[in-house]
Amino acid sequence: MRPLTLKRVLWDCGILLALLFLVVIVSLKLGAVPVSMYGLGRDLIRVALGRSSELSSEYRLIVFDIRLPRILLGIFVGASLSVAGASFQALLRNPLADPYVLGVSSGSALGAILALVAAPHLHLSSLASALLTPLFAFLGAMATIAAVYFLARREGQIDSGTLLLAGIISASFLSAVIMFLMTTLPGRDLRGMAFWLMGDLSTPLPASYRWLLAVGFFAAAGAVYTTAADLNLLLAGEQEAIHLGVDITRVRLVVYVAASLLTALAVSVSGAIGYVGLLVPHVMRLLFRSDYRLLLPTAALGGAIAVVIADTLARTVVAPTELPVGAMTAMAGAPLFVYLLRRRLA
Amino acid sequence: MHLPKTRKRGCIASRPYLCAVVFLLACASRLAAHSRAQNSAPVGSQAQTQTPAVEFTDEAGRTVHVPQPVRRIVSLAPSLTETLFALGAGNLLAGDTDYCDYPPEALSKPKVGGAINPSIEQVVALRPDLVLATKSLNRRETVAALERLGIAVYVTDPRTVDAMIASTARLADAAGVHDAGAALAANLRERLAALQARLGGEPARSVLFVVWTDPLISVGRGTFVADALRWAGARSVVESPQDWPQISLEGVFRLQPEFLVFAGEHSEAEQRNLEALAQLPGWRDLDAARNGRFAIVSEAFIRPAPRLLYAIEQLARQLHPHAFALPAPSEQKPAGAPVALGLPAPAAWAGQPHFQEDYSACAR
Repeated sequence: MRPLTLKRVLWDCGILLALLFLVVIVSLKLGAVPVSMYGLGRDLIRVALGRSSELSSEYRLIVFDIRLPRILLGIFVGASLSVAGASFQALLRNPLADPYVLGVSSGSALGAILALVAAPHLHLSSLASALLTPLFAFLGAMATIAAVYFLARREGQIDSGTLLLAGIISASFLSAVIMFLMTTLPGRDLRGMAFWLMGDLSTPLPASYRWLLAVGFFAAAGAVYTTAADLNLLLAGEQEAIHLGVDITRVRLVVYVAASLLTALAVSVSGAIGYVGLLVPHVMRLLFRSDYRLLLPTAALGGAIAVVIADTLARTVVAPTELPVGAMTAMAGAPLFVYLLRRRLA
Repeated sequence: MHLPKTRKRGCIASRPYLCAVVFLLACASRLAAHSRAQNSAPVGSQAQTQTPAVEFTDEAGRTVHVPQPVRRIVSLAPSLTETLFALGAGNLLAGDTDYCDYPPEALSKPKVGGAINPSIEQVVALRPDLVLATKSLNRRETVAALERLGIAVYVTDPRTVDAMIASTARLADAAGVHDAGAALAANLRERLAALQARLGGEPARSVLFVVWTDPLISVGRGTFVADALRWAGARSVVESPQDWPQISLEGVFRLQPEFLVFAGEHSEAEQRNLEALAQLPGWRDLDAARNGRFAIVSEAFIRPAPRLLYAIEQLARQLHPHAFALPAPSEQKPAGAPVALGLPAPAAWAGQPHFQEDYSACAR
């Protein structure tokens, strides 16, 4: 295999970036309210030229104030989940690891719900209470992945099957706790059950939260990226990596914290969207290659593309009513996963 | 040998990554700045900038600036759609939800999706001056999303029958039909007083109010339905703090209600369904089911709208037929449909024939 070059990375990311741009344009066009391609193109050019005051008010409201923030949210959520999935796959050395399958998303959602319940009783400033939700989601994610890890460990080894079972058990236990809380608590001020269990991008974010999401994503994904070369070695074998001088404990700690943070950020703004972290890295491995230095950026872009497409479908399939985006990712993701499994076996 | 090489490549590979990161960040901040600039201006009220907005405080305690005059209203709940029509303001309704099925005119209005997950852009595309929402059905996020787009959203939260009447009058003010609201509220209060006069001496019947049979969903003590039951001379056996609790047949068996009250369309099919239901294990052990003590009320009973009064009267007639056997001296002609006495009375008021006329009478 040819060595990974800068040119190659640029090319692959460029292709995906162009594809993401195309998907965003199509997603801006599609929706419950029809928007003409001509009008959209004209308005996009105006925005690009910094003359947004000339926009017609209807397009501006529907395309730029409703669809665009949602698409941007989808991009960040998709990228976060996908990078988190790729990280967990390396961390646990298991190709089927994913925040949703391992129950990390559910743990995160439970943390977020607890924060939302506790926040009114703590008399915090508005900034602190805004930070409380992602913080608790982060703690929930860290606790869940640690629990799953220790449940799956036997005599110092992680058994692949046991790991997945531990994940599934944690996921269903935590989902049950979420259901219990949603039914018993006076849940009028919480988002719906479907939001936390299925994922949903329809809620617009306050501006402060958007920045938190962007900064958190780049910090965590960047941190994972610094370990990309070590992750390649780690995937080849733990002993081999140690012999080659990889500081396994440090790499694991970085990836563990960063992947939990990525999951928590995504879940606290969009609930538990499944299959993105599992499938996108796999597709990217098939399309490009499994070198983590290439896989991480391509998975981020691919995750963004996948979630934007899924959310566009969720918005349009039964318009004007909306589906939770997690239903779309699961419906599209599960068959694709079966296909990938068969292809691997063949 | 391998390691330095790999590491070095890692560094090289991180450069395009950084470039991509910088590029994406630049794009994102550009777009974010753009949408912030957009959000600062109240775009929804743009078309009506000539006239000043009037300030209202809604039932969620929010301050709402409603542009005047109100020409286009989008309703996000069936009860609010009904209320608007009852106020004679159906022509102001620019759109409603998939579940808004009463009066029949509501069906032909443009739809914005379900009450829980409506399409925000569809609401915006209808260019409403005012959007109506209700706390018990709509999500807070939907209200926040519309608010952020500069659209006036008025939220109601009636928890009792009295509150529903007061809420109707306040809603009329916000929608700019004050006189119709005052007249309708007076009419509703009169009917409530007349009903109370009739039922004065009657003991309250214990009932199980069935919202849904599978799973069995009833009503909690804090809902307007529980209050409406009290006005109809009934008492819900379910004392849950939740609004729409799922309950077990076993619990119902222990409480042994005198009557089972079903909210639904009163048709022969429904009647057969109930008879079949009464034969099922669990249900057949209930005294009320064994003795055929069912009452069927209009679905209006679970919608906090003016038609609720009609449904209350309908239930009161079924639970307390004796009180209605003699004409009360102080009472005017009852406003509901002519109702057969005795139980159960299939299809007697299936179409709720006169109520629409009643609405227009109130609005005039």
